Amino acid sequence: MNGNILELGAPPRDASRLEKRPLLQAGYLHEIHARRDDWAAASAFALSSIARDRAGTILSLRIAEQGGFRALPYGDGLAGLGIEPGRLVIVQATNALELLRAGLESARCPGIAGVLLETWGRFAEYDLTASRRLSLAAERSQLPVLLLRGEADQRPSSAQTRWEIVSAPSIAWSGQAPGMPVIEAELLRQRGGPAGIRWRLEWDAEHGGFRETAMLGTVVPLPFLRTGEEGGRSRAA
Amino acid sequence: MVLTIRAGNATRLAAVDVQAQKLGLCVGMTLADARARYPALAVQPCDPEADARLLDRLAAEMVRFTPMVALDPPDGLVLDTTGCAHLFGGEEVLARQAVAATGLSTHHAFGSSSVSARALARFGDPFGNGDEAAALRHLPVAALELEPDALLALRRAGLTTLGELEKRPLKVLEARFGKTASLRLRQVMGDTDSPIVPRRSLPPVRVEARFAEPLIRTDDALEVIEDMLRQAAQQLEQRQQGGRRFVVQLERSDGAKRRLAVETGLPVRDPAVVMRLLRERIETLSDPLDPGFGFDAIRLAVPRAEPLKPRQAGLEGDDSAMEDSVSELIDRLGTRLGSNRVLRLRPRDTHIPEIAQGLIPAGPPGKEAWPAPRLPRPLYLFTPPQPIEAMAEVPDGPPRRFRWRGELRDIRLAEGPERIAAEWWRKMDGHHFGAGGLTRDYYRVEDEQGRRYWVFRHGLFEEQQGPRWYIHGLFS
Repeated sequence: MNGNILELGAPPRDASRLEKRPLLQAGYLHEIHARRDDWAAASAFALSSIARDRAGTILSLRIAEQGGFRALPYGDGLAGLGIEPGRLVIVQATNALELLRAGLESARCPGIAGVLLETWGRFAEYDLTASRRLSLAAERSQLPVLLLRGEADQRPSSAQTRWEIVSAPSIAWSGQAPGMPVIEAELLRQRGGPAGIRWRLEWDAEHGGFRETAMLGTVVPLPFLRTGEEGGRSRAA
Repeated sequence: MVLTIRAGNATRLAAVDVQAQKLGLCVGMTLADARARYPALAVQPCDPEADARLLDRLAAEMVRFTPMVALDPPDGLVLDTTGCAHLFGGEEVLARQAVAATGLSTHHAFGSSSVSARALARFGDPFGNGDEAAALRHLPVAALELEPDALLALRRAGLTTLGELEKRPLKVLEARFGKTASLRLRQVMGDTDSPIVPRRSLPPVRVEARFAEPLIRTDDALEVIEDMLRQAAQQLEQRQQGGRRFVVQLERSDGAKRRLAVETGLPVRDPAVVMRLLRERIETLSDPLDPGFGFDAIRLAVPRAEPLKPRQAGLEGDDSAMEDSVSELIDRLGTRLGSNRVLRLRPRDTHIPEIAQGLIPAGPPGKEAWPAPRLPRPLYLFTPPQPIEAMAEVPDGPPRRFRWRGELRDIRLAEGPERIAAEWWRKMDGHHFGAGGLTRDYYRVEDEQGRRYWVFRHGLFEEQQGPRWYIHGLFS
């Protein structure tokens, strides 16, 4: 275990890429930006990276009914991504300050798998002090602390990495059916490392987590997910 | 109405009501036989655990008649009314009140010992003239509740009532029918003692502190509370219990009272943990804890306690400390935000997507695994579904493009439909066409930008003119 929570498994095509391999490392704060329409993709990216490498409770903190977005995580969908829905504890704060306090407290608890803060818009309470506090808490408890920022501008913070996640067209299965989720992840900023790199990642149903697609468009992947009972089983396994 | 239980490979009747009894059904008959006779039989599965719970609750209620209440499982209660009956105006009145308190149809009887009362209640003549000795003598030998073959032996010997049995010398009975028979006979006839084991509930743990001089500072009060928690923890430890709810009452010298209550997800004894929760609670109070002229008494009670075994520290890596830290975190967040804001998902047994999951206050993680989804389901679900304007190429096909949040989305890929019918069996006459509710046709679609949605058409074309479209979820 090297503490990496996102592993981009495909071997890099050139050696220079190896160093640029991005990590959502445990023990740090990471920011993930997403537009409103790409919210589910960003959330899947964050949740799967927490759930894959660590066992235990995942805390998902949000402000109730924020951003006109009355959507709740759906248990069957989580199970489909290989995340046991019973592991998720959803905390509904009433305001941003409460959210940050609860998030900070969760980030200090070493027994959980990780913390996911869902925020919307400007989120003025999240300043340098707040982000520094979260970073320190993550460092002490060695937890991954992820901050999802929906429809937000970038702001200086003490996060280790900053990402932008956008949905990307999937590789269709037979019968013009949508295939495995594909996302485009851009590393906007990385502390002490290069930034501005883009990856096109595809959901790996066999191992869970997003992986770099091999030459998108030319290789037709074997569909693991099928609309049938067996398909559901293998995804949940 | 009958209750059934599975015994081996057969489903047998476990209990029958008066009506079923009149029809000639009896306990032990197989359900298939009973159904063959009366197809319209109302059948419910027997739930012995619920019965036991009910009996337990009734026993707790009976304490208002006498402190000596014992369970007589599976379906009886023994009340020792010695010295209590006159408070209610006689035994009969007491019995009437007790029967009314249960709210059930019951048999009851009085006896000089618990075993004879039990025998009279179960086998006696409900219209006896009050002469206990005579009633006992008229009881059938079944009242001894012996093994079936011993009972058969008694009957074969021509002994049908206890009176006849009593006339024989005990030695002979013992030699022929075994020691149990003679012992039971003597118990039923009241010749030997048959003490009951009364149910006793422990009073909740309470600690009280009174001060000669009122405490002016809140910090001092908190220190006292911590000390009281330590005393309560000792009491709880002796009972091998941990508290789930702690209530602190602060009494001010001017008569005002303040209550602080905290609850925990797992039973705890550790004063530090409870103190942290109490501090959380004090912080969230809308009006602060004002000592005024000082607190002159503090009471602490633990109204809800559950068994908590002293824990032995493991030799290798101790996971339990980690688990504790998680449940403490959930308790703290629940105390501050309210337990209805710290939630866990729970599956429900239905195929209607929005009802298929419920939110419950987060406690310790559940043991049962989530059922594996059979078909792809979105990561986020809208409650309620949001209406969209959709255009489909063919009426029964997936949408070609749709407008949601004011933006037009062209569909590139689509899969479906997955047809989910309404729960027509829950509705009156729901099985008739169109009366059960609208059918939904779900499609998994992906637009040009690669966003994946879960949309559905509400109603088939046969069911409705121009059915509407909704978006119900977002896939990753």
